[in-house]
Amino acid sequence: MSDVIISCKDIVKTFNSGEAEVKALQGITLDVYEHELLMLVGPSGCGKTTFVSALTALLSFDSGSCKILGKEITTMSDEEKTSFRGENIGFVFQSFNLLPSLTALENIALPLTIAGVKRAKALAQAREMLKAVELEEKADTKPNNLSGGQQQRVAIARALVHAPKIVICDEPTSSLDHKSGQVVMELLKKMTKEKGATMIVVTHDSRVYKYADRMAHMEDGKIIKVEVL
Amino acid sequence: MFRVAIEMLMHDRTKYLGLFIGIGFTAFLVTFAMSFFAGFMTRGFALVSENPTATVWVMDRAVNSTEATINMSDASLGLVRGVKGVNYATALYLGDVTARFPNGHFQTFQTIGVDNASLTGAPKPASLLRLPQSIIVDSGGTSGKLQTPIEQKDRWSYDGSHLGVPTRKLQYGDDLLINDKRVVVATVSQTIPRFPPRPLIYTTQSNFKRLIVGEKRYITFIMVRGEKGISPKTLAQNIRKETGLKAITSEAFKKETVLWFLINSEDVGDMLNMVILAMLVGFGVTGVMLYMFTYENIKQYAVLKAMGASNKQLTNMVFTQAFIGVIVGSGIGIGLSALLGQAVASADFPFRMMWFAPFLGFLGVLIVSITAAMISVRPVLKMEPAMVFSGR
Repeated sequence: MSDVIISCKDIVKTFNSGEAEVKALQGITLDVYEHELLMLVGPSGCGKTTFVSALTALLSFDSGSCKILGKEITTMSDEEKTSFRGENIGFVFQSFNLLPSLTALENIALPLTIAGVKRAKALAQAREMLKAVELEEKADTKPNNLSGGQQQRVAIARALVHAPKIVICDEPTSSLDHKSGQVVMELLKKMTKEKGATMIVVTHDSRVYKYADRMAHMEDGKIIKVEVL
Repeated sequence: MFRVAIEMLMHDRTKYLGLFIGIGFTAFLVTFAMSFFAGFMTRGFALVSENPTATVWVMDRAVNSTEATINMSDASLGLVRGVKGVNYATALYLGDVTARFPNGHFQTFQTIGVDNASLTGAPKPASLLRLPQSIIVDSGGTSGKLQTPIEQKDRWSYDGSHLGVPTRKLQYGDDLLINDKRVVVATVSQTIPRFPPRPLIYTTQSNFKRLIVGEKRYITFIMVRGEKGISPKTLAQNIRKETGLKAITSEAFKKETVLWFLINSEDVGDMLNMVILAMLVGFGVTGVMLYMFTYENIKQYAVLKAMGASNKQLTNMVFTQAFIGVIVGSGIGIGLSALLGQAVASADFPFRMMWFAPFLGFLGVLIVSITAAMISVRPVLKMEPAMVFSGR
């Protein structure tokens, strides 16, 4: 077994919606290992997205602790969390979240631009990634003129361009047809392996379960089962 | 990130055009309104402006403008002429008269009497005033008030007034009655229009005294020019000291007149209120548009924040967009104001774009945009970047 890269203990998160309280996470404890592809699966509303939001420091939680790459995120300031995410985490979203004003190439270069890499260098690195996702000819195309599958491939390239140690994918195939979904998953698995990254995939698309190394099943804000495939 | 901010701003043509037009409209409104206001104020001190050779103006101590005046005794002219450093001093006589037109129609004129010998203060060709009973008339920024009947039968008729008959503009040779005394139009001049607009009559001092009878004091202003080497300020000080009259430089008199209008004129107050109201509306529109623009893009900011963009970077982006909006918008607004101003000025409207009008236009939108950026950056900094995930 590889080293533990993420270690979460007893994470609790409650949302207040008017007078009603929604316990989204009810004491989640989970370890994620280096280089593995972990899938978080479960029905809609079980807390999968809330959990990945919490463990990537995008959402504060009420209690518990979470160490990523040896750093406790509960003790980090907002600026430290932001900078930590920028250096170590890549994201692939269900709705792609590409900036519509930028070309495919510029979108891929964004994490490098944010990190302060010079434009020419950032674009050169982005072009390499675009080549890797086989969209070289779409470099100057805006996201609106790309298909869903192409947009997700651009998003994958963007998530990996700065060589993050962890890649978080939130329902990466939900907006795609079966064939495109398989292509995206193949690509994700291949590229994260090549880059030596650890991948956490949130999904309820059973057609992609086969790509997982381990699966954590969630229900009502709890992990009910972790299985090794 | 500067480039990303610009790309974001320029992505949606409808939105950015709306934003630029909104900011441009505000800049236009402020610049145009200020220029219009400056134009009115310039007309307010037209009497001073049309006598550029006079560097010092002498008046009763209580007078603060060209608008509300009280006369001085005739002896004051001699007193001023006796002050050391005075090159020339000449009197201006102001009064209101009601003139009867040949068809019985009447009109009130501001009458300006000038020195018989030098004719200083009269519009060109001033020498025409040497003709007996002659006057020079001027519309003074009014329209349709210098109309005299065309037909001979409608002129000085024995059967009473012929009102509502066809008329034409006064011209050389036309006559009017003032206090039952005949005056003859020598020419119609085109001097600086007045604020408030009023028709003007220029005549000689002797004719002025013939027309306005019963006054004990006639001189309203004494226009002075100093000898070479003496500054207007020093000359004014000397005149004040030696005569006890009020003496100020022409520039100071213009400023005093503007101040007088600001304090005493209800018209100016109403005008200012309208300008301020229009500016507030413009500012409101600009602020709301900028805020909406940032707020509508909040998910994009969330994506950037999730990917590691710091609060400082996001703040810079919002301010960059606001600043570009200000530069482009105020450029459009001020440019449009200048162009339209030229058009309205050529149509004799009181438009004068002084340095402070575009400056205030730019400053106004800059302040509003910075405020709007400061307000709209708050939700960007306070948002939970987790909103980038589906369902949030």
